Amino acid sequence: MDTLFILEPLLTAIVVAPGVLFLAIATLWLLGWTPPERFIARTAAALYSAMAAAVVVLCVLMLRAGQDSLYVMHGAWFRVGEYSFPLLIFVDRLSLPLILLTVALVGITGSFSVRYLHRDVGFLRFFLLMHLFAFGALLVFTAGSYDLLLGGWELVGFTSVFLIGFFTGRREPVRNAIRVFATYRIADLGLMTAVFVLHHSAGSALYPTLFQGVWPAQTSALNTGAATLAGLLLLLGASGKSAQVPFSGWLPRAMEGPTPSSAIFYGAISVHIGAYLLLRSEPVLRQAPFAAAAVVLVGCATALLGTLAHRTSNDVKTSLAYAAMTQLGVIFMEIGFGFTWLALLHIVGHACVRTMQFLRAPSLLHDHHGLHAAAGGHLEPTGLHWEKLVPAPARAWLYRAGLERGFLDSLTDRFLIEPGLNLAWILLYFERPARPAESDPAPATRPATETR
Amino acid sequence: MTALLICSFAAPLLAATPVYKTDGPHARWWAIAAAAIALACSISSAASGMETYSAIPMLLFSSVALITFASAPPRDVQSPPLAGMLLIFGGTMAAYAAPSLTLYFAAWTITVAPFFSNCFQTLNPTPLWSRPRIALALGALLLGTAAILETTGTDGRWIFVLLMFAALVKKGAFPFHAWVSSAFESGPPQAPALLFNGHLGAFLIIRFAIPRYSEVAREALPWMAAIALFTAIYASFTAFAETKPRRILALLTVSQASFILAGIQNRNEAGITGALLHWIVVALASTGLVAAYRAIEVRYATVENPHGFLGLGARVPRLAVLFGMCGLALVGIPGTLGFLAEDLLFHGALQSNPWLGLALPVATACNAITILRLLSTLFLGRAPSAVSPVPDAFPRERWPLTAAVAALVVFGLLPSAPIALRAPAAAALAKILE
Repeated sequence: MDTLFILEPLLTAIVVAPGVLFLAIATLWLLGWTPPERFIARTAAALYSAMAAAVVVLCVLMLRAGQDSLYVMHGAWFRVGEYSFPLLIFVDRLSLPLILLTVALVGITGSFSVRYLHRDVGFLRFFLLMHLFAFGALLVFTAGSYDLLLGGWELVGFTSVFLIGFFTGRREPVRNAIRVFATYRIADLGLMTAVFVLHHSAGSALYPTLFQGVWPAQTSALNTGAATLAGLLLLLGASGKSAQVPFSGWLPRAMEGPTPSSAIFYGAISVHIGAYLLLRSEPVLRQAPFAAAAVVLVGCATALLGTLAHRTSNDVKTSLAYAAMTQLGVIFMEIGFGFTWLALLHIVGHACVRTMQFLRAPSLLHDHHGLHAAAGGHLEPTGLHWEKLVPAPARAWLYRAGLERGFLDSLTDRFLIEPGLNLAWILLYFERPARPAESDPAPATRPATETR
Repeated sequence: MTALLICSFAAPLLAATPVYKTDGPHARWWAIAAAAIALACSISSAASGMETYSAIPMLLFSSVALITFASAPPRDVQSPPLAGMLLIFGGTMAAYAAPSLTLYFAAWTITVAPFFSNCFQTLNPTPLWSRPRIALALGALLLGTAAILETTGTDGRWIFVLLMFAALVKKGAFPFHAWVSSAFESGPPQAPALLFNGHLGAFLIIRFAIPRYSEVAREALPWMAAIALFTAIYASFTAFAETKPRRILALLTVSQASFILAGIQNRNEAGITGALLHWIVVALASTGLVAAYRAIEVRYATVENPHGFLGLGARVPRLAVLFGMCGLALVGIPGTLGFLAEDLLFHGALQSNPWLGLALPVATACNAITILRLLSTLFLGRAPSAVSPVPDAFPRERWPLTAAVAALVVFGLLPSAPIALRAPAAAALAKILE
């Protein structure tokens, strides 16, 4: 009882702290105050140090109390008639390592960014988005229901997109941010519909209602049909966030953001959120062999595409992105096969290694020269022995497929985006017969001379 | 209480006369004073136990009008356009307070009258169905016919159908949606936004059509919801091809507002509360969007028909953030009232209207993409070197817009108050529709 008295507010404080800091700084800025860099850096350092200490204390106290999980119910966020939105947060064997990982890696990345983005015009913007992202990610990992998870999930998506378009002075990052956002929104439809299906078939999206037992040995009372549908829809949502085939095209585009955001989003936390969703929904997948098989297939296709594209990439961040995609594909396969602990360990290890690689990416040449010298001036490219096993014509074709990223982007453009936009034009024709770009004169580039 | 009600719509209507005759800085203060009086009267009426259907719309609309008048650039608070906006404001408040369909029709007519005078520049685009005057006249004609038929004791079925179509025309439902984009395209965009954000079409259904013709409503509401859902998806999809910010804003508003009509058909308390909360979201967020956009438009002529990314965020960062926050709240970003309203609509749909549950995320996803595209076009990219620096949000813009954003966020995080305000009306409607 005494331990619970400490644990419950501690867990709540860990989750809401970055959100509160975000709100406080953002409100003050909107009202006219621009905080100096030193203030932003120190508040971030203090916050994530305190949070990391709090998570460690949480782990120790839970271990000492012999608790597998901790549920904290903050009542109903709102209640209307018979419907209520319960604010249930919890930690268990799955979420606790990921919370620790999030707090530690966000703190490290924040510390790195203080120097990396020194005097950048977007310094404040970066840290605000980082705090909001940390809040969203912690909400995803601690949510006690799919409804609450969806809230954190969307926050992660929004912050991710705004960081991709961080360098607003160039067109490509902005275009890529829109493309990534569109991909996220389409994939998120899967998660939303899955929540709809779960509510419809089980009457609730609360984990304690949907799943019985302790992770990873949980069971679900869903029937096979509902579990298969929900599983496939969850796979759709997870594939979008974790850059799986056919949504994988967004990951290299996301590399337009600053390196620290690439590290924390696409090396560490954000891309693994899809895998977390599937791990959390493991009882659903176990109930639905067809959906589990689909997870394996998607993971396998992604891993193959990732490794092909990785070998044809000629810049370090894109190369790392495809390497991350390959590992994510393997993690999906592990989840599909039911190797839950292995997948969890893989996520933690992969996130740490990839964060380090991304943060070292700006120093690649320096590192490479050091390695080259240490190896006595002779560094062999890796994987040549595999390439030699492939016949030469197939090797050329695979090279082309890798170079074109599996043709996924061009297929999407040709068969989805172009017909969609043409249809939108046709619909618009009925209310506005002339296309504006053709009929209207080009606007003046000078500003209005007065602001009245 | 009757005196308070009369005062709430008489103040803006009376203020229209001195505003029409007065030019210069005093006109804005007349309008602000009228909105403040209307707001105070609305709060007093709500506190003294006014009927639940009308109290909150009056309070909300006076707040929206106050934000509009306070943040409008000087060129929009000159006599003819401001007098027109005051007529829309007063007419809408009178419509909320109207006890009978006949008086409601009279108030409705006042709200559309400025579009037939010289208050605002009104376009007459080529397709007839795109002309605001034709659509507004059609809506008034349908409502007027229903009011006359009601006095003659005609079959309720016909009256309901007329009321439903009047509401659909006013809400810009398909195929009557094109007038909203045309109305937004010329003159000050705050005027059509104010007219639209009164949501008199939804109010007509909630206040008169359903309580009086509940039997017919049970049969007809699914049809109305189907039209509204189609409009939501159609408008959100059409916005992909649109390039003019004003028209995009109109399409976004029409698409999101369609969920109010569709949500009423949920027939349960959660779903209808979601629809009524969504009303608040659409009103506040679209008012904020239009005000922020107009503030930028008067600074930079290029935004009217942008080619490529304009990169104005570096020049007006606070306006960019306020615009972005209002846009994201409109499409239901977590942490805002929009998320909560959509969650309630979504869960309300589980029981009675699964199509809404499936259509809502699709339309919202399309609208979110459009909002990001518009935000990127206006504020991201590199500004041409010829674009001279201008001031960021003035206090008259910053404070009202921050208040709108703060309301959307605070109500989103602490939703008990807005839910308590809207749930009784939703419960009453759900009971009628059971």
